[in-house]
Amino acid sequence: MREMSGPSEPVLLRDESVSALERALLDAGRSYRSTGTARAKTLAALGMAGSATLLAGTAQAVPLATLAKMTWKMTWGKLLAAVSIVGAATAVPVGYLAWQRHHHPAMHGGAAPAVIAAKPIEVPPVLMPRALEDQATENGPAGAAHSARPAMTLAHELSSLDAARALLARGDASGALARLDAYGRAYPNGRLELEAEVLRIDALDESGRSDAARARAGAFLQHHPHSVLAPRVRTRLGD
Amino acid sequence: MTTAAVFDTRDLDRAIPVVHVPVPGRERPASLDVPLDVPPELLERSKGQPGTRALRDARLRGLVDLHIDFVARVLRNSGTPHAEIDDEVQRTFIVAARRLDDIRPGAEKSFLFRIAFNLAAHARRTAARRREVSADQAPEQVERFATPEALTDQKRMRELLDSVLEKMERPLRAAFVLHEFEEMSTAEIADALGIPRGTVASRLRRARAEFRERVAAIGGFAAYVNREGQG
Repeated sequence: MREMSGPSEPVLLRDESVSALERALLDAGRSYRSTGTARAKTLAALGMAGSATLLAGTAQAVPLATLAKMTWKMTWGKLLAAVSIVGAATAVPVGYLAWQRHHHPAMHGGAAPAVIAAKPIEVPPVLMPRALEDQATENGPAGAAHSARPAMTLAHELSSLDAARALLARGDASGALARLDAYGRAYPNGRLELEAEVLRIDALDESGRSDAARARAGAFLQHHPHSVLAPRVRTRLGD
Repeated sequence: MTTAAVFDTRDLDRAIPVVHVPVPGRERPASLDVPLDVPPELLERSKGQPGTRALRDARLRGLVDLHIDFVARVLRNSGTPHAEIDDEVQRTFIVAARRLDDIRPGAEKSFLFRIAFNLAAHARRTAARRREVSADQAPEQVERFATPEALTDQKRMRELLDSVLEKMERPLRAAFVLHEFEEMSTAEIADALGIPRGTVASRLRRARAEFRERVAAIGGFAAYVNREGQG
């Protein structure tokens, strides 16, 4: 990590300390890591295909060589078009509407598509978002609850949202809604519920059901006014 | 400002200037077409695609993959409550995505640090308001954890570390976090903070002295409590 260790470079306190307490405290600071959930939420918010990367990431180290070996199929493009314009228009990249298809059969093992029922599903005019629990409250001490869940489940959650986003980007809002319903059934307490809800608001709006979209957006903002995704929802509401 | 005030990450766009401080030995070639963090394979795949978008996409992905642990650690060590780390990590990269064109290749960590450090300050203030507890009330509750048995308890050590860092001035804390936890050199820290190397060294010395002093005080307090407890 250190690249510039000149003669005047201070030695790490961890290396020179004779105090067990000092060393223990410094170790506590150095050992902190992100959670798989943080990675998934980040990729979802950026609208990035992430399942394969997510799995690599949960193993902590992501050597570039490993990344390079992955053979996921990506369609470049639309996401960053959105990213490039959001600076002026929104607080969150409009990745939800600009999706690149991502699929990695070896990683997914076909499980994610199996979960997603493609049958048309009636979308109720729900006023309350599914994600009623604030994201902050679910993250207990040391993130133990999260890390205990299989990484594959989180990857599949992300994959499900990816699929819905891909449909929406192609203009198939109904298909996207069906996929989101399937996501809700498969993961009733999913860790990406809020991201799914924002995508649903987009899909409802795109399908011409702007009243339903506004109702859900209002409910979202009422329950999660401080969410990272709130500015994105406000933008959709036109506030 | 009340707790109901909504934090707009766009504020950071104004709060974080683009600082281009050359780091000795880290200069990039004149052609900066290829971002540092993009795996060659991804670059290869981007050929034939709309160039700018593909590169941006690959670069953004690289930022997340390579620096997400760094961002999480900086957020945590800069005072973000644990329960809010996931959200703040997400927020950090959202801001970075919006400012991607402003991030000088090779200076990704510096840029991410500035975003995360600012977000941490906001998260800390907000959490303090929500708890309606002043920031300096926590340490007394935590000092009793400084027993010999607790040295191997990461959660307790984490809480104790929080209480020590909490009292450190922000500029000192920034230097301390980057050096002691991220093992960045003074030159790299100077780049991240946009200050001269001499200032970094000076802040580091003061921060380390403060850290040692407070830890020693806690250790002495714990020893006293333990003696009293045994007696």
